Amino acid sequence: MTRPSPFSVRGRRALMVMRDEREISIVRRQLNRLGMTISEHDPIEEPPLVEAIDVIVLDADSIPIKSELATAWKCRPPIIALIGTETPSRLKWLLDLQPASFLVKPLRSAGLYTALVVAFDSAQRRIDEAAHLERLEDRIRSRRVVLAAVLQIMRVHGLAETDAFAMIRQTAMRHRTTVEQLSAEIVALGGMPNRNSRTA
Amino acid sequence: MMAGEMRKSALMAIDEVNQSDRFDFVFAPHLRDPGGVVAAYHTACDALIREEHVDHIVGCYTSASRKQVIPIVERTERLLWHPARYEGFESSENVIYVGAAPNQHVVPLVRHMLDHISGDVFCTGSNYVWTWETNRVIREIVTSAGGRILAERLLEFGETAVDHIVKEIIERKPPAVFNTLVGESSYAFMRALHQAATRDGLSIPMLSCSLCEPELKLIGSSASVGCITSSAYFESIDGAENRAFVARWKARYGADSTLSVDALSTYVCVMLLARAIRRAGSADVGAVRRAAANHRYDSPQGPVWVDPDNNHCFLTPRLARSAPGCQFEIFWEAAAPERPDPYLSNLDLAAIGTRQEKSNDTMMRRSNHLRVVK
Repeated sequence: MTRPSPFSVRGRRALMVMRDEREISIVRRQLNRLGMTISEHDPIEEPPLVEAIDVIVLDADSIPIKSELATAWKCRPPIIALIGTETPSRLKWLLDLQPASFLVKPLRSAGLYTALVVAFDSAQRRIDEAAHLERLEDRIRSRRVVLAAVLQIMRVHGLAETDAFAMIRQTAMRHRTTVEQLSAEIVALGGMPNRNSRTA
Repeated sequence: MMAGEMRKSALMAIDEVNQSDRFDFVFAPHLRDPGGVVAAYHTACDALIREEHVDHIVGCYTSASRKQVIPIVERTERLLWHPARYEGFESSENVIYVGAAPNQHVVPLVRHMLDHISGDVFCTGSNYVWTWETNRVIREIVTSAGGRILAERLLEFGETAVDHIVKEIIERKPPAVFNTLVGESSYAFMRALHQAATRDGLSIPMLSCSLCEPELKLIGSSASVGCITSSAYFESIDGAENRAFVARWKARYGADSTLSVDALSTYVCVMLLARAIRRAGSADVGAVRRAAANHRYDSPQGPVWVDPDNNHCFLTPRLARSAPGCQFEIFWEAAAPERPDPYLSNLDLAAIGTRQEKSNDTMMRRSNHLRVVK
């Protein structure tokens, strides 16, 4: 699957969580020009289910800081924060939401496209980084298994540690698998698996 | 040069409005010439608004100058009537965009190139926003149709040392050259490429979405011929409105003078403004903006009206080939005025370049460097 370009916003779905009618009309007009689908939600109500939403345009001033609602917006699609009040207390609340981008009020037609592109791009980067982190964590978790496999090969083949590891790595490459996966097999079998066929 | 042409056109339109009994008001023009110095546009417009109490400003050719003016007209709730075509991605409530949006100039030209010339193109342009964005659009359309950008060569503004680019083109013989150079750079490039191509007996199609009649004269009669050009206006448009307009222009500015899309578009700005004031019964900005929306004007370039969705204009895209005598021969025009799409949000890449032969081309091209591995 090719990932969508952050520059093409047509057909993406925006949820407007705003109260000010003038600002709503500016954002709605601009989203329409960009060919996006729009839904609206009253900020004083519980956040809705957001599976079918690609970006949230959230008026940061419309939700009381000390309320249940304040935390309920976390961990959702990328948020574009509309900022009026620049007090540290409000900004601290905002940082907790990890906004993907922001616009400073009063709103004008210029700026929203930039905010959307930055939001889509940073959301994609977050997903990529999370996947990368998960791969790294997997490798750290399997370090103990790799160590056990190296010891096994050293014992069975009478090799030094460096040579045992090189042997595992080369075999893994030949079998088109990872060092971690091969190590798990070595530990399970008590030695190098005898495979002629290539694993998928 | 273009600024002078636009001023001449604005003054002609103002005189026509003032002399016409169809308008029960007269325009009092206040002229300012920032001389292309970007920072001076802010000062000039500020003075026009504060000192002369001007409600409507007609002008700005470059995007850099327009971006200087927009914050002032937004803050003071005035209207800027902008005649020049531009690269899009803007939509201010306080600007009426009378020049073509990218779907009305770049897209038809790239589509023509893909359908009739080549999927592979050599791009050269001036190093600023017009070229950057136009080239991005070209790249997006061309690559989605299976074509290639063979090169992208940029020159600094006003640079006339073009020989390295001409040499590369003559050596590589691309099937098409897309020229987004502006001003002297473009004239120098077209002369040099014409000379080199003639010497080597080559004929390389060139495309432009900014070339206009007065420029053909500056480039010279032989080097300016044969460029495929996209524009919403050419002096050669057939039709009573345009023939009368051209005759009035030549009567005023001399038989040797030439029209251009930017001059025409400035004239259209003043006329759209006058007609909106007449319709609104006032020069008040809000009333004029509302009155201008969807109010059709049968202009020398055909029907024009403001799309209230984005304050850009419905215009008729046209393609022409520059011909001997510093004129354009129009060979295609859209069947009807096209809705402006400044953000290209309705550009359907899948619909461009999906013709059968093209997909075959793509397959053949791919087969050169991809092997099937079993």
